[in-house]
Parts: sequence; structure tokens; C-alpha cells
Amino acid sequence: MSVKEKLKRVLIEDLNLEDVEPDEIDDDMALFGEGLGLDSLDAVELVVIVQKHFGVEIKDMEEGRPALQTINTLAKYIEQRLAG
Amino acid sequence: MRMAISGIGISGGFGCGVAALRQALQCGVVEPRQCSVERNGAIDTFPAYRTSLEGLDEFIPKRALRRIDHFSKMTLHSACLALQDARLSGGDLSRMGVIIATGYGALKTTFDFLDSYLDFGYSCSSPTHFSNSVHNAAAAHVSMQFKATAPSLTVTQFEMSVPSALLTAQLWLAEGRVDQVLFGTIDEYCAVLRYCRRQFFATGEQGPLQPFTFTEQSAVVGEGAAFFVLSRGEEDARYGAIDAVTLGNHAVVPLTLPHDDLLIIGADGHAKCGRWYAQALTGRAVAAYAPLYGSFPAAAGFDLAVAALSQQDGILYASPATAGASDSALQVVAARRPLGKANIVCLKFGPGGDYGLIRLSR
Repeated sequence: MSVKEKLKRVLIEDLNLEDVEPDEIDDDMALFGEGLGLDSLDAVELVVIVQKHFGVEIKDMEEGRPALQTINTLAKYIEQRLAG
Repeated sequence: MRMAISGIGISGGFGCGVAALRQALQCGVVEPRQCSVERNGAIDTFPAYRTSLEGLDEFIPKRALRRIDHFSKMTLHSACLALQDARLSGGDLSRMGVIIATGYGALKTTFDFLDSYLDFGYSCSSPTHFSNSVHNAAAAHVSMQFKATAPSLTVTQFEMSVPSALLTAQLWLAEGRVDQVLFGTIDEYCAVLRYCRRQFFATGEQGPLQPFTFTEQSAVVGEGAAFFVLSRGEEDARYGAIDAVTLGNHAVVPLTLPHDDLLIIGADGHAKCGRWYAQALTGRAVAAYAPLYGSFPAAAGFDLAVAALSQQDGILYASPATAGASDSALQVVAARRPLGKANIVCLKFGPGGDYGLIRLSR
């Protein structure tokens, strides 16, 4: 399973997005606001999810903000960290 | 001070709503669900009375519920049903107090939070799990949902949680601090609870639940939520009223009861509690309904719901399981009987002889 696929699955499971299917999350859809509709508390949960499921720590929001925009940006961030 | 019961909302192993409870009482049979838990590579299969949340999204949108755990969802569902039953939905509820009685609280969320802390450290502990594991979280969800700005409280005293919390409801109403109390009793099942009960009771948890076999363990775990709208007004007493709530200990000051009262006892297959019923109620007319919803501390609220429904219907329903009744010195109500002028008393014993008594009247 690719990082993107796994991300979509754990997002739905851990954030209880019962009304969303993985296929419905576009790779470039905004995670917050108008897109998937996540909010600031979800941002904290996302940091926990990334560390728990991928072993990648997002140490500060300065670094995390650009990564937490879309599935694409977050997957890229995780892949870079895992490679480094 | 009398507390009028003007609405009931309930969900348990028998289904959701007053009509489902009445049907279970008339039918006399509710089969527990077969559940299984995997532990150390082995599958543990056991019966349990589980609750469905069917219909909750008619009251609250699914998206708004995504951060709310099962315990709080059960709470919100039955609270909504109770307010609907009392025809209070949508009104100004700012002077409505909220009290929740629970033996164990939000068990699953609490253990999930602890597990995440132990497995991954503090940086991976979910803030949502933490906020839901706070003991008054469910009551707070209810208060926020209905804009009930009067006091909000959660009371825990294991088997005595329900009568103990009812005393507070009575006090709030007597003091005029609130116009109504939305009073709820909730407990939930979780895999850790099953593990603990299996350690304590072994095969005694396999059922069937036999409330009158006082010397043997036959409890079957259950879960559910029962809510009541309580007020001072006699005109609101659609299900009668709660006249008195008493807490005591039979081993210290023996319990005495008026002889014409009909008793709904909280016997639920726990041998340690059962012996007190056998001892204190010789020759008394008693009924027990735990085989319809299972064994859990907040089930005392389900007994109260049965009593309230019986008052409205003017009959005491037959006990659903009577095995062991002939061996006891109790007169078990084996067939439905008219209430006549008799009052109903709900009685719950804890393992040490402590008891809670709730007397109702029409």
C-alpha cells in the first residue's frame, strides 16, 4: 500500500470520517477548510497520526503547516523523512 | 419532595425507545448478542447485551458526532429521546440541570487513551480521546447540545450511582436551582471490562442470566443509557413520580419496607449481591428484569424505567426469568398483575449490603 493510500485510510479511521470513502479524497484536495473540512483540533490529531502510523515526527507547526495542506504534500513530507 | 417523570429515553440490548422497552416487557425475552474478543491469539466468545445507536443521526448530524465516543453517543441518543418524549425538544432549556449516573464512566475511551500513552508515549496520546475520557464529558455534551446552562454533574458510586445521583436531582429541584433535571444512567461495554469480568467470574458470565438463583453467578454483561425528565410539577407526571430515594446498609441498619409495596429488584446474577435480596425480602412480592438488558451498575436506571412504565400502564409485568424462584422465600411475580393501589419500589443491593431504594407512586 502506498503512503497516500495508507494516509487516506488512517485519516478516515482515526478522524472518524464515516461519510467519506478513500476514493473521494483527491490527492490535491485541501485537508482543512473548504476541502475535506478538517479543523485545528484535527491538525493536532494529524500530527499524532503521522507519528503513530509512519514513525515521522512533525516537531513544529512552522515545519508542519506546508506539509499538512493536502494528501500530496503530506505524503511527500513523510517519504522525504523516511528516506532521510 | 416528589419528582414528576414527564419523559423517558432509553436504549439497551432490547432496542431504542420506550416502545421497544414495553415490547420487551410484554414479550419477556431478549437474547444477548454473541460477541468475541481476540486475546493472545485465542478467541473469547461470550454473550452481551449491546446497544444500537440507530436513529441518533435524526437528532444530530453524523459529522458533528465524529469526535464523540460511544459512551457519549449513547448518552446523547437517550437524552434526545427523553426530551422528545417529554415534548421539550427545541424549547428553552437554559434552566434544565443535567445529571448522569454511571458505575464505570467512558471505559473504552479511557482505556484507549491510556493504551496510546503506554504504547506510543505522551506525544502520541490523542487529544480527542483525552477530552472524551474526562468524567463529565458526556454530561457536558448534553448540556452543550441543548444549551442547558444550569448545573451539569456526573456521579459515580458503582452499584449505588443511580440512587446517589437521584438525591442530588431531588435537591436541585427542591432548592429551585433548576426547573427540570435531565437525569441519565449510562454504562458501556468494552473489551477490557470483558477481560476483568472473565478474571473475576470465569464461566459465570456465559448466561443465561437468572436473577433469582441468588447463590450462583449468572450475570451477562450489558450496556445502555436511560434518561428521565424530572420536574416539580404534578401535572407533568406522565409516568408517575418518584416519592423518595433512600440509601443505607442492610448489614448496619436492617431495611424495613411497607408490606403492600411491589418490589422491582436489581438482582442481575451477581452472587455476592444476590444473597442480600434473599435475606431481606422473605415473603415479599418481587420482580426482576435484568434478563432484558443485562448486568451493569447503571441498570438500576433501567429498573426505574420499567417501574415508570408499569405505573403508566397500571400493571407490573411478569419477571422474564423465574428459575430459582421456587428455592427462595420470595414471591416472584411470574405473570403480569394489576398494580391496584400498590406502589412500586426499586431496590438495588451492592455486594456489602449497601442498598438504594427508589419509591414511586402515581
